[in-house]
Amino acid sequence: MEQSQNLSVQNPKAQNPRLRILQTMLERLLQNKLAVFGGVVTFLLIFTAIFAPWLAPHDPTEQNYSAVLQAPSIEYWFGTDNLGRDIFSRVIYGAQVSLQAGLISVGIALIIGVPIGLISGYYRGFIDEYIIMRMTDAMLSIPALVLALALAAVLGAGLTNAMIAIGLVLTPNFVRLIRGEVLAHREKEYVEAGKASGISDFSIILKHILPNTIAPIMVQATLAIAAAIIVEASLSYLGLGTQPPNPSWGSMLATGQGYLDSAPWIALFPGALIFITVISINLFGDGIRDMLDPKMK
Amino acid sequence: MDDQMYSKKLLTTLLLTLLMVLAACGGNDQNDEAAGGEEEPEDLTNNDAEDTLVVGLDDDPPLLDPHLSTAQVESQIFKAVYETLINVDENLDPIPGLAKDWDVSEDGLTYTFYLQEGVTFHDGADFNAEAVKYNFERILDEDLGSPNASDLRLIEEMSVEDEYTFVVELEEPFAPFLSGLSHRAGQMVSPEAAEDESIDLSNEPVGTGPFQFVDRTAQSHLEFERHDDYWGDQPDYQYLEYHAFSNEDTRITNLVSGDLDIVNRVAHKDLEQLEENPEINMSEEDGIGFQGLMLNTDREPFDNQKVRQAMNYAVDRDAITEVVFHNGAVPAVSPFAPSSWANNPGLEVPDREVEKAQELLEESGVEDLSFTLTVSPSPAEQQLSEMLKSMLDDVGFEVEIEQVEFGAILDRMYEGDYDVARLGWSGRIDPDGNAYSWFHTGETYNFTGSSNEQLDELLMDARTTIDQGERQEMYHQAAEILWDEAPYIFLYHENDYKPMKDNVQGFNHIPDGLIRPADLTLE
Repeated sequence: MEQSQNLSVQNPKAQNPRLRILQTMLERLLQNKLAVFGGVVTFLLIFTAIFAPWLAPHDPTEQNYSAVLQAPSIEYWFGTDNLGRDIFSRVIYGAQVSLQAGLISVGIALIIGVPIGLISGYYRGFIDEYIIMRMTDAMLSIPALVLALALAAVLGAGLTNAMIAIGLVLTPNFVRLIRGEVLAHREKEYVEAGKASGISDFSIILKHILPNTIAPIMVQATLAIAAAIIVEASLSYLGLGTQPPNPSWGSMLATGQGYLDSAPWIALFPGALIFITVISINLFGDGIRDMLDPKMK
Repeated sequence: MDDQMYSKKLLTTLLLTLLMVLAACGGNDQNDEAAGGEEEPEDLTNNDAEDTLVVGLDDDPPLLDPHLSTAQVESQIFKAVYETLINVDENLDPIPGLAKDWDVSEDGLTYTFYLQEGVTFHDGADFNAEAVKYNFERILDEDLGSPNASDLRLIEEMSVEDEYTFVVELEEPFAPFLSGLSHRAGQMVSPEAAEDESIDLSNEPVGTGPFQFVDRTAQSHLEFERHDDYWGDQPDYQYLEYHAFSNEDTRITNLVSGDLDIVNRVAHKDLEQLEENPEINMSEEDGIGFQGLMLNTDREPFDNQKVRQAMNYAVDRDAITEVVFHNGAVPAVSPFAPSSWANNPGLEVPDREVEKAQELLEESGVEDLSFTLTVSPSPAEQQLSEMLKSMLDDVGFEVEIEQVEFGAILDRMYEGDYDVARLGWSGRIDPDGNAYSWFHTGETYNFTGSSNEQLDELLMDARTTIDQGERQEMYHQAAEILWDEAPYIFLYHENDYKPMKDNVQGFNHIPDGLIRPADLTLE
């Protein structure tokens, strides 16, 4: 990122073609104002999550019984909840949980989904057609949240199990996407040339086909992070995700639901942050897609 | 064991998935309706609203057979469809019910009941001394396995003197006998219906009460209609419905929006809001139950008395009653509520003493102080458990919170599979009902596994002593032993709140917390 920014101020004609492509892509991204907004907010959230211990004015789990259900004030910017905990601090720590859930569960989906998609698409055959594809069809036919709920219920409540459940639910999307990409590429001449010159299947898949599928994977992964954050929040809302007293936007929302009349700030701030985070990541993801795909206008 | 666990989990998952799918379908229907837009929002009731009283309950009552029942919410329904031999007034003193009068012999062994005449069951059967005998025998029948048999266990002989006179001989004096007859053990089911194999009393109750059963939709609602041949005063309205809302927010929203007329339980956080609402009247009464933590004394670290005592000093009862219950509960140190004659005023609620708790833990020599606190998943329980975790972690415990459905908690109690559970008691009129079955060695609800000879003796003597002064002294001592033994951490006595719409009149708040629907009138 930094490198390409530095390069962008130099004379484009002096560069090699690869860098020139990078630069035009970056320019395309920067022209997309919504994507820039999404990107900035996303990076702000990541920054907040990393530096939560320094940014939060209070301990997110400290209960103060003499300051229960306080409205937002100078002392408590976002007010306090039903146990006198500072909502601002909890929301900041909640960002950690949400982003962690988003990144790790998508990571799990990638680790499982990418190899299966590559192999399945490259070799085709019975296993691809009748086992892997039908399994992904079956999984995709169940709404993601329902499947995640069922899996989380089997694995037991907790953030780690929730992330595993979400990762598994997201996997078929990646399998399908990558398989489709591989199917298109395996018929191309460079693959045939590779085969003719005796390169092993393994290195054709890894060194030649995989790099060509990176762009769609990146786009899909970004959008999946947003989906994973929503699912984690939903699971925590239902008591299957992050366990109390650890802060999670979803469980904060569940607590706040009972106080919508008397203390609306409890639900308002975590709710707003879920909304902002998800829409930012989606806008950013859309921006990356447009950037990577020159055919899109 | 593992296999069992696995298959249990698998089954749960499958059921859950199915439920989810069904719920999703249900949700869609609703959305479709909402999308239609112009339809009126549906009322809860299909009956004529002017002539219908709708009660909101905090749970769907599982068993409608009073002789098998254990849940408080079931007793709410029984007040419509069944009647007890004895009733209680506001002071919890016995008043006539299906027995219009009774005599007790001086030795406390012979009870003669003179029954109300001209009473018929909903199925047309006559109520008489034979019916009472049938009911008592049914409760005592071991094949039925009634959890309420202990109320009648001391009966040695019963006889039908004439059609409306019934005599009971006890083996020894039994102080809580009449109080038991004002509860489930005194509820009279129709002998004909009970014998009829085609009628499932657990789902279709048949009694003598002012309302007769019409229909039930599981996990949703129950419908009743005025019993035209009722022997007492006819209720003011034709239809009575009970709707279950386990979510406290939904329940209150339905009351405020006018779909419910009266509600059996309210979350304390909503008290102020409801009291400010001009269309809602709130009735408040001291509770007779107790709430707290049940410790598994068969397990480490709670097999150590000092560890249990440390817990008594580690919790801040005042903070709990204030933060979670908005002062709608009072701190507890014994099973007897402050309003009970059995309460020991010498036992004071201690302040939270962190140092004392830590000292006790040190003296105990126990190193591993980690345990799982099992609570049911309601918002108030979650709030309470997070407070307890914070207080207990503070003195050196390591608490992990686990949320389990109430029914599943009960199952685990019976299996002894828990460390600490949040479980309390709605309370009984006679102090015996708050102590004997909970803390006597090996009794029904003594899930703590604790046993103390002196306590057993006191609780047993208090049952068979008639003189209230002597019994009071015994319960005072019992409470002191319980505080010292600490198999159960008493936390609070919850007050009973009944919010109702302002057109509902005639509510008579009896501390047992039951709504007697025939008393109510609609204006």
